[in-house]
Amino acid sequence: MFEYVIQRLATGFVTLFGVAVIVFLVMRVIPGDAAVMLTGAGNGVVSESELEQVRRNLGLDQPLLVQFADWAGKVAVLDLGTSLRTGNPVIEDIARRFPYTLQIVVMAMLIAVFLGVPAGVLSARYAGAWGDRVLQAVTVIGLAAPSFWIGLLIILGLVTFFQWSAPLFWEPFWVSPLKSISQLFWPALAVGMRQLALIARMTRSIMNEVLGEDYIRTARAKGLSERRVVFHHGLRNALLPIVTLIGFEFAALFGGLIITEAVFSVPGLGQYVVASILNRDYPAAQGIVLILASIVVLGNLAIDLLYGFLDPRARVSQAPA
Amino acid sequence: MTEATFQLPGSPASPALSPRPQEIRRTRLQSLWRLVRRQPLGAFGAVVLLIMFVAAIGAPYIAPYDPTVGDPSALYQPPSATYWLGTDAFGRDTLSRMIYGARISLAVGLGSSLIGVVIGAAVGIFAGYVGGWIDSIAQRIMDALLAFPMLLLAMAMATVLGSSLRNVIIALAMPIIPRAARIARASTLVLKDSAFIEASRAIGCSDLRIILRHILPNTFAPLLVIATAYLGLAIVQEAALDYLGAGIQEPQASWGLMMAGSATSLALVAPWIVIFPGLAICLVVLASNLLGDAIRDVLDPKLQRNLP
Amino acid sequence: MKQFLWGTLNRRDVIKSGAGALAATVAVPGIGWGQGQTPKRGGILRTSNGGDPPDFDLHQSATYLTQFVCSPCYSTLLRIDPNDVNKLVPDLAEKYDVSADGITVTFHLRANVPFHNGSMLTADDVVFSLDRIRKPPTGIVSPRRGLLGNIKTVVAKDARTVVVTLNQPQLDFPFLVSNPFNVIMPRAVAEPLDAKGQGMKRQIVGTGAFKLSQAVDGQIYELERFDKYFGGPAYLDKIQFFPIKGEVERSAALQGKRIDASFFIANESVLATLRKVPGVTSLRRPTPTFINLIPNVNFKPLDDVRVREAISLGIDRTAFIKTVGPLAGAFYHSLGLMPLDSPYSLTADQVKQFGGYDTLPELGGSVEANRKRAMELLEQAGVPKGFKLVILARADIPAFRDSSINISSQLKNIGLDVTVDSRDAGAFYAAENKGDFQMVAHSVALSGSLPDQILGEGYTSYGGRNYGGWKDDSIDDLFRKQSAEPDAAKRTEMIKEFQLKFLKTYFQINLAWVGYGASHLNTVKGWNALPDLYANMQMDKVWLDS
Repeated sequence: MFEYVIQRLATGFVTLFGVAVIVFLVMRVIPGDAAVMLTGAGNGVVSESELEQVRRNLGLDQPLLVQFADWAGKVAVLDLGTSLRTGNPVIEDIARRFPYTLQIVVMAMLIAVFLGVPAGVLSARYAGAWGDRVLQAVTVIGLAAPSFWIGLLIILGLVTFFQWSAPLFWEPFWVSPLKSISQLFWPALAVGMRQLALIARMTRSIMNEVLGEDYIRTARAKGLSERRVVFHHGLRNALLPIVTLIGFEFAALFGGLIITEAVFSVPGLGQYVVASILNRDYPAAQGIVLILASIVVLGNLAIDLLYGFLDPRARVSQAPA
Repeated sequence: MTEATFQLPGSPASPALSPRPQEIRRTRLQSLWRLVRRQPLGAFGAVVLLIMFVAAIGAPYIAPYDPTVGDPSALYQPPSATYWLGTDAFGRDTLSRMIYGARISLAVGLGSSLIGVVIGAAVGIFAGYVGGWIDSIAQRIMDALLAFPMLLLAMAMATVLGSSLRNVIIALAMPIIPRAARIARASTLVLKDSAFIEASRAIGCSDLRIILRHILPNTFAPLLVIATAYLGLAIVQEAALDYLGAGIQEPQASWGLMMAGSATSLALVAPWIVIFPGLAICLVVLASNLLGDAIRDVLDPKLQRNLP
Repeated sequence: MKQFLWGTLNRRDVIKSGAGALAATVAVPGIGWGQGQTPKRGGILRTSNGGDPPDFDLHQSATYLTQFVCSPCYSTLLRIDPNDVNKLVPDLAEKYDVSADGITVTFHLRANVPFHNGSMLTADDVVFSLDRIRKPPTGIVSPRRGLLGNIKTVVAKDARTVVVTLNQPQLDFPFLVSNPFNVIMPRAVAEPLDAKGQGMKRQIVGTGAFKLSQAVDGQIYELERFDKYFGGPAYLDKIQFFPIKGEVERSAALQGKRIDASFFIANESVLATLRKVPGVTSLRRPTPTFINLIPNVNFKPLDDVRVREAISLGIDRTAFIKTVGPLAGAFYHSLGLMPLDSPYSLTADQVKQFGGYDTLPELGGSVEANRKRAMELLEQAGVPKGFKLVILARADIPAFRDSSINISSQLKNIGLDVTVDSRDAGAFYAAENKGDFQMVAHSVALSGSLPDQILGEGYTSYGGRNYGGWKDDSIDDLFRKQSAEPDAAKRTEMIKEFQLKFLKTYFQINLAWVGYGASHLNTVKGWNALPDLYANMQMDKVWLDS
């Protein structure tokens, strides 16, 4: 187990390093004058000699390796520069918006698991019934539908049938938890829809397989209640694949998150990164892309470790990096 | 349903050894029909994609109105006899814009997934075949690229390169490359150690020859399946890009661009603008997923023997 | 001093704006201003006017988003009379006098005017602010630098007296210096920030009736009452601005009483819906806002006047107004460069000679003939068919975005392949100020309709609206001549000559004029709409009757 953990950690660290290199290179390699872009100064607004000063201040006249070491050092202490758009330190903006995004992610996964697993279980239990067929059709469509369209449809439904309107102010969780959950429920549903469909399908197919196994028949013959049979014996086997699924889909979740925040105008990290990139706010864009990619790497690492913990076979069968 | 037709050539019961041309055609047609019957969903997917393709190519002849010219007296019209799917804020016909939008969606979907898969496969096969530290480095780079959410990578590239169709295709190919590389590499690793590769090397085949003649054809199947999956994904990401304003710009018609704007506002005045383009995307993605599933079923070695 | 009553309505305006609007459009004194009721103290005014303001620096800004949020926090030397857009009333300056030769203007400041941070206003702050506008330090952009271009020096004679020396006499000068964007900022706060290159973009420190209490981008911008305001404490406790980009959504928020007012509504169907709602006052009035297509004359082939003329020929003004009008409020048009029904307007015959302008409503130009001529000119200039051009557009305002979309669609007919590059306000201004564009459709919203204001800011090469980077000394000289001309008849002639001269160059191509709508619950009292987007947004006399 220990060896496995070390191995995974090492791989994760190297990947993180690779992420940092890529983010740094993209910044230095994009067309245009980095000094102009990093400060938002404009040609004609700032003279050439001022730009030279700016370049020297930013260290752009140093060799690339030195610049990278410099930047990496700052990043390590979470100094991500100042946003050109809001004027705040990037890390402050991120800290302010992070709770909303985190809440959506957590709620999305909870929705996906707590709605998806029972749906899959019931579907397998009553395989062939109309409910099962409906679920199959719905999940297939749910997987094909773009998540932002689902978000748009949710808004459509809410506005048409419930005269819903977007909140003017999004309550942070610690101020009013109930209000915050009710506000963020709909974006979370839109984000989690795809995971919900996948989990439902996967649970259903696993349960179908498992419920036909011999030891299930034995358990039933022993007189155990149906519920105990299904949950205790059947579901345990579904746990591992579900965790794998969540791991696989983790990065995809972020893509859906970003666009769903735009659809619902949630003031989270997704909206921030979109606004930063579209407004050419390079320091902020750089910082937040780095943070998001790192979260993905760390998340995958966590899933890998969890996987290794749950399934002993995984620890052994890991192909060498 | 296995069809075990196994007859020794030359045995009394066997038919003539070389079938006549018409028989070949008929047999091929029959086998196609059998294929369709066996994979109805996949066939459905193929048909839908074909219809989209035809509509996209024939857009100038099929679309009832010019997609960029609006009728100022018909703003935000609900679906009616004159405008089958209604009009938008400028009085432009939704149906015409959707037909032209198919051009952009399919161009990006096909272009990005093709370029992404080809480049990704090249990288993955090379890394897998060569192995060693080159492979390790390539793997780490691919892992790092995979850590970026697909939409962010595409958006950053599109913003940097500019918003033309060509740049959007390139931008969306970027996230596909590492994913295709991973699949290709996995396939290559499995094949690399197989018996006939060893034999080929023993004969003296060059590496390039081995790659082109042995590895490539065998990775073709999973790559084809993955390409159909990414066709759908590229179309969705492209729509997202346009929706956010980082992709195709006005006055061109693109499915994602058509749904852009304040959602609540659109819900109140013109819900059809939100519903139909998304439905089109949904349909295309569904079709390509079903086709991909069908191809995977068909090309899976277990079933291959049954094809006449 | 000559004053001109602008905003005389014609029948078209009356029909378009509806009965309720009529009263507010012509600035009839007494509407909503006191009206005999005793104002109540307290309450929070909740408004939404659009998306997030890109920043808080009024000197550098050209957008109403910044101006609406900052105006309650700052003061100018004089301000526009809330009841009459053509009169000035004292603000920071109790009074001012002009010397006999018209060259020296002396402002006498009020005593004991505190800034939000506790320090007191002195003449030095006025000197700093005016210099910041007319000679911006490096890294600071100033769209109104040309407006104050006639100033030779600004000097503080003592702590309460500011002496401005002009290069030549300028009758319109007091209005120019009182432009609602030309606020007085404290030197001690702004100067160090300017040196760092930050400017006043994230700070608000002024002498106004309100001060900034919180700013959370994407969520809320909140001002609270500044009790030490020199004009006496305002009635409202707080003003809240919620960024909501979609106009339909804003309207729904207003109808649902989740906000009390929206002072910027462009879309006609949204306004029409609001007009029918009981308990809500809605109106649209013409403003000195015009939509110009501005080519970047440093970008080939737009440096060729034939190409610019061809582009002007390619746009059917009537079709433009018909489409963009309901979307953006671009219902109005004028003859020449001055506002509609201005005494300086040209005649129809004079305007018709310029390519494309004969397609203005009721001028009877032939769209077909214009297109043919346009294609001929393009061919002469060597521009191939299908030549690609990009229009830079601001995504969040219909007058920019929808104009661009319409223009791109129209220019297809003369063989140009035009696409629109939509950006958010911040990125849009950054690109535009750098000259980083090919063409831009800009809805130039000015404050005030005097010739020096409109021609000075919009149509001189040093005025702040020369986004396209043109240079022509003879035009600038003619502007300066008319600005100093004391004889009214001669000046009118010069102004007309100026317009004819400028129109011939097609440095900017005028398309239509815009009137903006506003809507508020009837519980909001003390605000009235002037035929000007930016004047009277200080909110110091607004109160809530709940």
